[in-house]
Amino acid sequence: MFAQGSSEHDALRHHVMFGKLDEAVGWARKLSIWPFTFGLACCSIEMMSIVMPRYDLARFGGEVFRSSPRQADLMIVAGRLCQKMVPVIKRLHDQMPEPKWVISMGACASSGGVFNNYAVVQGVDRVIPVDVYVPGCPPSPDALFHGILKLQEKIAKSPMRG
Amino acid sequence: MLLSPVISEIEERFPDAVLSAELRFGDPWVFVKKQHLPGLLFFLRSAPTLRYDLLFDVTCIDYLPQLPRFVVLYHLVSTSNGSKLMLAVPVAEEDPVLPTATEVFRTADWLEREIYDQFGITFTGHKDLRRILNPDHWTVHPLRRDFPLGGEDVAFTHNQDTLRLQADTWTEPQREMNVQDYLGLTGEAKEGTMIINIGPQHPSTHGVLRVALQIEGETVLRAVPHIGYLHTGIEKSAEHLIYQQAVTVTDRLDYLAPLSNNLGYALAVEQLLQLDIPLRAQYVRVILAELTRIASHLVWLGTHAFELGAFSVIQYAFREREIILDIFEELSGVRMMTSFINIGGIRTDLTPEFGTRVRGFLALFPEKLAEYENMLTDNKIWIERTRGIGRISAEEALNLGVTGPVLRSTGVKFDVRRTFPYSGYERFEFDVPTGTSGDVYDRYLLRIEEMRQSLRIIEQALEGLPSGPFRTDNRKVTLPPREEMEAVMEQLIHHFLLVSRGFPVPEGEACSLVESPRGALGFLVSSDGSPRPRRMRVRAPSFVNLQALETMCKGGLVADVISIIAGLDPLMGEVDR
Repeated sequence: MFAQGSSEHDALRHHVMFGKLDEAVGWARKLSIWPFTFGLACCSIEMMSIVMPRYDLARFGGEVFRSSPRQADLMIVAGRLCQKMVPVIKRLHDQMPEPKWVISMGACASSGGVFNNYAVVQGVDRVIPVDVYVPGCPPSPDALFHGILKLQEKIAKSPMRG
Repeated sequence: MLLSPVISEIEERFPDAVLSAELRFGDPWVFVKKQHLPGLLFFLRSAPTLRYDLLFDVTCIDYLPQLPRFVVLYHLVSTSNGSKLMLAVPVAEEDPVLPTATEVFRTADWLEREIYDQFGITFTGHKDLRRILNPDHWTVHPLRRDFPLGGEDVAFTHNQDTLRLQADTWTEPQREMNVQDYLGLTGEAKEGTMIINIGPQHPSTHGVLRVALQIEGETVLRAVPHIGYLHTGIEKSAEHLIYQQAVTVTDRLDYLAPLSNNLGYALAVEQLLQLDIPLRAQYVRVILAELTRIASHLVWLGTHAFELGAFSVIQYAFREREIILDIFEELSGVRMMTSFINIGGIRTDLTPEFGTRVRGFLALFPEKLAEYENMLTDNKIWIERTRGIGRISAEEALNLGVTGPVLRSTGVKFDVRRTFPYSGYERFEFDVPTGTSGDVYDRYLLRIEEMRQSLRIIEQALEGLPSGPFRTDNRKVTLPPREEMEAVMEQLIHHFLLVSRGFPVPEGEACSLVESPRGALGFLVSSDGSPRPRRMRVRAPSFVNLQALETMCKGGLVADVISIIAGLDPLMGEVDR
């Protein structure tokens, strides 16, 4: 369109990038996760630690914890899911707008953990779909970071319209 | 034979009520007939020589297959003269009915509801006998001994397909819910009032607490807490673990102060085993328990300030908490759930760096405390939102069974470390701070002061830390040292049995009391002589303290409810167990 060597051509070469829209949106999405403040048990304390100065989730884009499910796109299930809580967690997950992701944090959320008994649901994936499982009891903030980074990889690869 | 003056007083006053009486680990246990119960409780509370003003716990033990099947225990404590008494009431399976104690002690309300929920014993005269921990529509009573643990099998090659099928078809039961029923405020709808629901998902309810508020304008008329959203069945799980394994589930009760729970549980079992704990282990336990108290209070401070809109305090508080977690991690390899205090002592000896690290923290922390106080103590917004809010009187607090900083803020000087010293606390000098007005601001000042006192205790314990063994040398309980195990066959057998089968604990019941950051934490362990407990009861301070929420919120504003919950510092893991 523009002659080679012209100033317009030069500007285009330096300032315009071509790529797939999916990838561009994925890149933007993965760096602006809004997690949902949803602490169940012990793991929620470690979940709080990741936004605190020592670990500082903001470095990876994702520190904006929202208290309303309608403003969040990542649910970190931090702790054991008990029978009485099941209807609540389902409703909260339904209230989150698409696209949404779920991290199952810790042994209890992933598999029931040490509590293989009448009260605890043996894994939150019985109730809502899970994207990333983070092992540990409780997982250290570093482990949760690893989980979030893995989720970011997944988000970056997922198509714009699910 | 005169066992205890209280027993003779009871026998004198209620001649045909007492079935039997004995001393168990120094505490009088009196078995009484159930029809005398409310009168007896009233007498024990009001008699000027006895003054058992705190109904510490009401719980139940299922003695299946013995008869009578249940024994309901009323644990009474006198905060003024420091004595304990256990009233035990046998209840037959065919007639599981007891008169309520709520007329005498309001604290019995939730405790009786819990027994109804978990054991199916009903209390006549109880005004609100509903399930409390388990879902409302359940028909079973999980803590009965004949109720299975539940859960799922571990998947192996031979059963994985059936298990997967079960998992895929798992659905939770559906039911119709009426909003008013759901809120538990039926029949009280009044013109001009509104019911609002807070939680179980709410940023400032400290986990999954749910509170139904009835409000008129901005004024709170009623505040009814609904709990059980984190009911984990820890007490049931412990019955299926060997004693040493059950230490790990106690960590997950009060997950901000796991070491206090470890300590309480270990003390109860050690009483049954009649173990002597080496002095070094006792000192280390004290240091760890106090470090935990500081770490827990830091989370309280941060979240409390955060919920009232001061974001910087939580960042500062977590910064210092990380130092304590680093000490734990260096010691045990784990940041939070250390299970470091176990039956017989502590898990390993201290690392060489432990002393240096703790001393470093002791040197650093006072100036950080001053920093927090700078931000809050004279802060106008902080004072407006806490002073005069959530008031409760000493009588009401005692009647509701409130303990810990919340009780002390009303002026009652009851600290388990001072009244019933354990693990060598009588060796250390420290003050028990008390408040005067019983409001949220007092609780704030008091917890800050408690952290200072904890520093004092740690300093003394670290200075006087004796050398010597770090756990008991009773080989029936503790693992043999590596060298002996490799040389002597018998030690190898001991090791094998301890790890695979655990150790049997003599039959009986023992209870322990410790001062956790949230209040008086009690463990009651009942053994049938096998390597697994018959019953492990946790008297969780948060659970009982939370009952006082309504008294504190009544007449206040909706915004104050948040401040009051934060000032109570309940921990749902412990409330729901």
